[in-house]
Amino acid sequence: MRVICTIARQVLRGAVRNRVVYAAMLLAVGLAVAAPMAGRLTPGQDVKVVKDLSLAACNLCGLFVVVFLGIRLVAREVEQRTVDTLLSKPIRRYEFVLGQYCGLAATLALALTVMTIAMYVVLGAAAWWRGVPGLASVAPVPVADPALLKAVLLIFVQLAVVGAAALCLSTFSSPVLAAVSTCGLYVAGHFGGELRNLDEVVDSRFVTSLAAGLSYVLPDLAAFDVKAAVVHGQPVTAGYMVLTAASGAAYILAFLVPALVIFTRRDLL
Amino acid sequence: MSAVRLRELSKTFHTGFWRTRVHRALDAVSLDVPRGAVLGYLGPNGAGKTTTLRLLMQLVHPTSGGAEILGRPVGDVGVRRRIGFLPEAVRFHDTCTAEEFLEYVGGLFGYTVAERRRRAALGLDRVGIGADRRRRLRTYSRGMLQRVGIAQALLNDPEVVFLDEPMTGLDPLGRREVRDLVLALREEGRTVFFSSHILNDAEAVCSHVAILNRGRLVASGRVGDLDLRVRSWELVAAGPGESVQAVGGAAARWVTRIADGRYALELPVEPSPEALAAELAQRGIQIVSLHPRRETLEDYFLRRVAEAAAAAISDDEAECA
Amino acid sequence: MSRLRGGASVFERGGAGSPLWGRTDAAVVATILLVTFGAALQVARDRETVDGPAPPGIRSVPPADLVQRAALSFEAVLADLYWIRAVQHYGRTRLSGGGAREYALLHPLLDVATTLDPRFDAAYRLGAVFLAEPPPGGAGRPDLAIALLQKGLASVPDRWQYLQDIGFIHYWWLRDRDDAARWFQRAADVPGAPWWLRFLAATTMTEGGDRAGARALWRLVRDAAGDSWMREEAARRLAQIEALDALDRYQRTVDRFRVRTGRAPRSWQDLLAAGDLSEVPVDPTGTAYELTPFGAVTVSPRSVLTPLPDSGALPARPAG
Ligand SMILES: Nc1ncnc2c1ncn2[C@@H]1O[C@H](COP(=O)(O)OP(=O)(O)OP(=O)(O)O)[C@@H](O)[C@H]1O
Ligand SMILES: [Mg+2]
Repeated sequence: MRVICTIARQVLRGAVRNRVVYAAMLLAVGLAVAAPMAGRLTPGQDVKVVKDLSLAACNLCGLFVVVFLGIRLVAREVEQRTVDTLLSKPIRRYEFVLGQYCGLAATLALALTVMTIAMYVVLGAAAWWRGVPGLASVAPVPVADPALLKAVLLIFVQLAVVGAAALCLSTFSSPVLAAVSTCGLYVAGHFGGELRNLDEVVDSRFVTSLAAGLSYVLPDLAAFDVKAAVVHGQPVTAGYMVLTAASGAAYILAFLVPALVIFTRRDLL
Repeated sequence: MSAVRLRELSKTFHTGFWRTRVHRALDAVSLDVPRGAVLGYLGPNGAGKTTTLRLLMQLVHPTSGGAEILGRPVGDVGVRRRIGFLPEAVRFHDTCTAEEFLEYVGGLFGYTVAERRRRAALGLDRVGIGADRRRRLRTYSRGMLQRVGIAQALLNDPEVVFLDEPMTGLDPLGRREVRDLVLALREEGRTVFFSSHILNDAEAVCSHVAILNRGRLVASGRVGDLDLRVRSWELVAAGPGESVQAVGGAAARWVTRIADGRYALELPVEPSPEALAAELAQRGIQIVSLHPRRETLEDYFLRRVAEAAAAAISDDEAECA
Repeated sequence: MSRLRGGASVFERGGAGSPLWGRTDAAVVATILLVTFGAALQVARDRETVDGPAPPGIRSVPPADLVQRAALSFEAVLADLYWIRAVQHYGRTRLSGGGAREYALLHPLLDVATTLDPRFDAAYRLGAVFLAEPPPGGAGRPDLAIALLQKGLASVPDRWQYLQDIGFIHYWWLRDRDDAARWFQRAADVPGAPWWLRFLAATTMTEGGDRAGARALWRLVRDAAGDSWMREEAARRLAQIEALDALDRYQRTVDRFRVRTGRAPRSWQDLLAAGDLSEVPVDPTGTAYELTPFGAVTVSPRSVLTPLPDSGALPARPAG
């Protein structure tokens, strides 16, 4: 356990020092800060736009971090032979992979935390300036709404699933292939609802049942997306949160088990 | 108990797009390295030295055969606490500093924070990385990285140290330092298993050698036990120049005057130099010394590799016939 | 912790050449179990949201121009996606028997689809049909339907079908025959438009939108339609007109019975017994007409012809 923590911390340190991660976070924070200006363009909707943009930025930059790091973590260590040194130390290969994944999750959590704080700062400022013309809140939803954290939490779980997929793919394929497949999975995961209800559009039973089957096997990534619901002040039940997060956890494990087994078996050439 | 033991260790790589081409990188290598030995694992490029070490570190899995380190099968995590490894291509996480990297490695051994610091500082002192230790590894030169690599290999006071070409990338002084380091490890009773194709280095420090060619073990044993052939005799005589020249001139390959009226003669292996020595003594010329000149390790290495190649060719011909 | 270590040794490769299949099996089984578990949780969650008050997955539509800007170079695919969503939204709401309120997302979805792909023919034409039909069959918003088609015209001005469709909406749902005739005329003026549009315009104008005109119109549509849905729809409209004619006939029979006996028939049986009818009348789809207790003849609510177009829109031509 301690070894896993040590490896995770090293991953986090590497990511924090990696300027690309900074760039992603800066972009997100900048977007969140620029959002009030965009908000002025859509009168009466300013707070909504700030929330929309900030949450979208969280999601997008998180995705960037996860794919960028996820496919590189294991693959790059193998490719650059840094793994030679590490695996000659008293650690098992599964500890190495788990450490890398925990580091990835920690990096993601850090990035999301920074972006969330930026979002609340902007929203807090918006609430403070409320009397000023052009900055009016949408009626029933509070400005610095704590419910936004629900959206952030599910974004975290969603991206943790994507990260596990990226890590899994990168244990046995090249980084480019892993990146492409991860992005493919991300897109396919968002079409779960469409696949499931294809029978309303297509007549072929074979196609519809195939699509529906696929949609149930794939993690339904769109279901992790409660941004709109939260922004509109619609209730997101605790049951929904728990079930969604639990299914996310199951998929994370489903990606990690093959990753661990494959990496343990593999010749590190 | 032997420190390292290879039992018919073999590794076959499958290459090509469909993994159909096979390449036997290591072919049934058996080797016993006693504790306290310094083994020079020698061989030309592509002989399979790195492959052997990667098999020992369980970075690749053997196709057949096996290996033990300190009596435990490779892959035993416990035994990794007692060994050190310097890989061939030294690359580390280049966003951290040498200090941080060594502390990280210490963390992998489960040391406390204070212990990590202490060992990292000690290790870096030992390999002569001074103020640079606070700089990122990305900015390090090849030789500096090699030094960091040696430091991490020795961080846990290992009983067995595996070094894959420890001298590459080092300046002459650095080579000298590594040589002294290996000798120091030998003094401390640790076992050193190092690969090299720089034979002078090996000759200076090894107690044992193993010579590998094209994945096969060609020769192995104590340095003293190798059948290093006598190539010539060196005889030093003191006396008047003309008489030395007169007696030895015909038989010797060359004669040189050294100092104080002494002359050095190089004599061929055959005929035996005793007759000449007797004659010189008869003439009143004093024999200062008579030494056999043996093959160097390099000569030996080249001869064994050439023999192995010739054997391979004749094997092939036999197969063809 | 030590237990985890022990258990985890499953992942370690044993001695050289030891068979590993058992462990691969274990890994495969574990993975399948985990995926099944995850899928089951997803199903459970979907169940939860079906009954819940407000399903949280995105069920609102972002502004069309925002989507367009975010689409980068994937507008066409996204347009298809939004079109599929629109169809699903329409189909689901129709099946659930919801009212107009439930079609709230229909126009925004169509708007996004047609903004992303301004030449999205199906989205304009079928979309307009979905929008114009009154609830529960559609959103009952002929105004939005016309706006959608006019948006289509803005990007494809020579598409006479859109002009014709606007004419239909005026004719059928807004009951404005003069406007309808004007739109048909405009459609006919488009170079390359078929001859019968002019005929249609003329008929509409001169006959003031009677059933004969309507019948002519729908027949033309049925025969010219390239799209099977359109063809079936035209056939359904024709059946409705037939049903309207039939209703008028049977209503007259009922009225005669009432005059003769001084009471309204309680059922078709009364009329059969009295010899006014030889059999229970059925509509063109084979579903029996209904007779209300007050003696009004209507189409059965179970028939696909329900609801009939407001007969005010298509007044019966004065007999003779
Ligand atoms: N990943 C690999 N795939 C295919 N062949 C390989 C691989 N790694 C090594 N080989 C082959 O195995 C043989 C032994 O390689 P190895 O690296 O062990 O040689 P070496 O003795 O370390 O050589 P050098 O002195 O150049 O370092 C070579 O012929 C090499 O081509
Ligand atoms: Mg090598």
